[in-house]
Amino acid sequence: MAENKSKRLFTIAGLVILALGIVLYFAKAPLGLNRKIYDLPIFLIIIGVCFALKGFMAKPVVNELNKVSFGEFLTNNAILLAMLVLVVVICILQPRFMQIRVALDILTQSSTKLIMALGICFTLLIAGTDLSAGRMVGLAAVVSASMMQTATYANRFFPDLPQVQVWLPIVIAIVACMIFGALNGFLVAKYDMHPFIATLAVQVIIYGACSLYFDMPPNNSQPIGGIRADFAQLGQMRLFSGAFKGFPGISILIPIAIVICIVIWFILNKTVFGKNVYAIGGNREAAVVAGINVFRNIMGIFILASCLYGIAGVLEAARTAGATNNYGNGYELDAIAACVVGGVSLNGGIGKVGGIIMGVLIFTIIQYGLQFINVSPMWQQVIKGVIIAVAVAIDLTKYRRK
Amino acid sequence: MRKVFTLTLLLILILTISAQANEINIGSCIYRFNDAFMLRFRNAMTEQSDKLGAKITMADGQDDQTTQDAQIDEFISNGVNVLIVNPVDRMASQAIIDKAKAANIPVVFINREPTPEMLASYEKAYYVGAKAEESGTQSGELIATYFKTHPEADKNHDGKLQFILLKGQNGHQDMILRSKYSVEAIKNAGIEPVEIASAIANWDKLQAMNIMNAFAMSIGPENIEAVIANNDEMALGAVEALKANDYNKGDKDLYIPVVGVDANASALEAMDKGEMLGTVLNDSDNQGAAAVKLAVALANGSDINSTGYEITDGKYIWIPYQKVTRGENK
Repeated sequence: MAENKSKRLFTIAGLVILALGIVLYFAKAPLGLNRKIYDLPIFLIIIGVCFALKGFMAKPVVNELNKVSFGEFLTNNAILLAMLVLVVVICILQPRFMQIRVALDILTQSSTKLIMALGICFTLLIAGTDLSAGRMVGLAAVVSASMMQTATYANRFFPDLPQVQVWLPIVIAIVACMIFGALNGFLVAKYDMHPFIATLAVQVIIYGACSLYFDMPPNNSQPIGGIRADFAQLGQMRLFSGAFKGFPGISILIPIAIVICIVIWFILNKTVFGKNVYAIGGNREAAVVAGINVFRNIMGIFILASCLYGIAGVLEAARTAGATNNYGNGYELDAIAACVVGGVSLNGGIGKVGGIIMGVLIFTIIQYGLQFINVSPMWQQVIKGVIIAVAVAIDLTKYRRK
Repeated sequence: MRKVFTLTLLLILILTISAQANEINIGSCIYRFNDAFMLRFRNAMTEQSDKLGAKITMADGQDDQTTQDAQIDEFISNGVNVLIVNPVDRMASQAIIDKAKAANIPVVFINREPTPEMLASYEKAYYVGAKAEESGTQSGELIATYFKTHPEADKNHDGKLQFILLKGQNGHQDMILRSKYSVEAIKNAGIEPVEIASAIANWDKLQAMNIMNAFAMSIGPENIEAVIANNDEMALGAVEALKANDYNKGDKDLYIPVVGVDANASALEAMDKGEMLGTVLNDSDNQGAAAVKLAVALANGSDINSTGYEITDGKYIWIPYQKVTRGENK
């Protein structure tokens, strides 16, 4: 009967929040709350609908063993709850946080991080890692930006380069990343190197190579600027902007990230390759015995991952309308941390796209929120570290319990 | 046969040593090659050395003081006549001065200034650079002039200037001085500055863009009257963030003046488009030339006052900054 109770609880809570949202929506203008609660009513309506739907659609729990006590629920979701508390605190300290445009901004900033995390999750799923991810972002950013400058810019990377089609530099940048991805995969698969060392070596190689490219005359290590508008649009375009009053528009990065999420979900869950990834991560020996071509699959994993980093790098270059070889520095650690917070096990074989999306969102919301209320960057570092440690600790206790 | 061979070898050796003795050998340690400003600086130094017929060798410190210390040892044991050093950590300059002093080699510091006590500890230690505070003063003056000539810039009509400060790497001398003196200059111009927010963006465009975006959301661009960045890359990041919020795209009512320092190509372009108000040029060409001229004079033992630059307090050559604006703000 307990499951019915929790179902009802969710539905009722959802409806209450929904009602509160609707009431506030109509009451905020007459009560003069416009500048105090901003778009809070709309958020309440969305949250209310989600809760109610969750209560409505929730599958009845069949197995009694899967039932979790309230205390376990709290520990299992500690990070999520901490984030919610933080969001409430930020909203009180700085009511401007409750704006649709803030939510959209957070989603925009999450997009490239999510693409990175989806790439790196493949390498985590086989109990590996990829330290070269961040530098690949830098490589893709520099390579694509270097060929996408306006003809009139004073300091062109290739002074005589004609105005090429937009897709060409993007493909070149991504292929450049994939070559290094193949090198990663080759070192890991052929020599059975630990991915930590293999990708560390490749990371250093990429940074060096990218710096050499960046240092080529006449550019000589100057930040690449003068980016063509049609390329910048790739990262800056806003869809439906002004659809209704004050609506800032949805950044094109969000739909791009969603499409990639769907593709990756499909690959992981519906293809033989995806099944192989989980199989190799769960038990490599068993996978070999089962006749899975480990070499080919590992190559595939690293090449696919590097393709995603390449996409992220191109988008970063477009979004900022510029690039230096320092772009992407340290991104891989953020992406790994987001995956871990999202429930991807570093021991391999466990991890879902949904969890990774959650992990990236939690991370971005916390980071953005702290910046929003102007918390010192040093404290931000401390808090970030604590989150990672707590997330992994909770994760490990969960498995031990099982 | 063997004797002849040994003799020839010895002869070659002597010849190379004597050839080296005639040529001035400058050893230059740069904190990091991959830095746009230091790159222009390096080019200016190479050019000047070629002009004066001196040989200059540069080493990349890779932003690591330990690496740089090793490179200085190497230069000294290779017998350079003079050192030009751009320290990674200016507070670590004493060790460099001690090494130069022990080898009796003159040392010229560039770009990052050792403390006066450090320079005073060795009679052949000099500094060539710009007064960092001047870059701050001039960027503050750019904003103050704009604020005075454009009454609409005072968005809330309180007569005060509400600004956002984007700072460079924490602890960097330029970051500290530019932050301080830009605000001071506004005050000296008779305007009361109000810092609504500030953040460290590590000289980085991407970080500055994300931070500025958060500020635009939390504070609201309509409440920001100016953005002062410690360098151009951060100023450009702020410009990108403002553009994403529909500011600085040509509409007179939606404009926030942004200033930086460096005058790099992207900043000049942004200024041409009217997206950025102005910048301050740290005259690397002049500094590079001055450093090499001074180094060569020191190595020759000639009069250092003959370099054409004024020597202040017997230790410093100061190269002034220059304000840069474009279009109607000129």
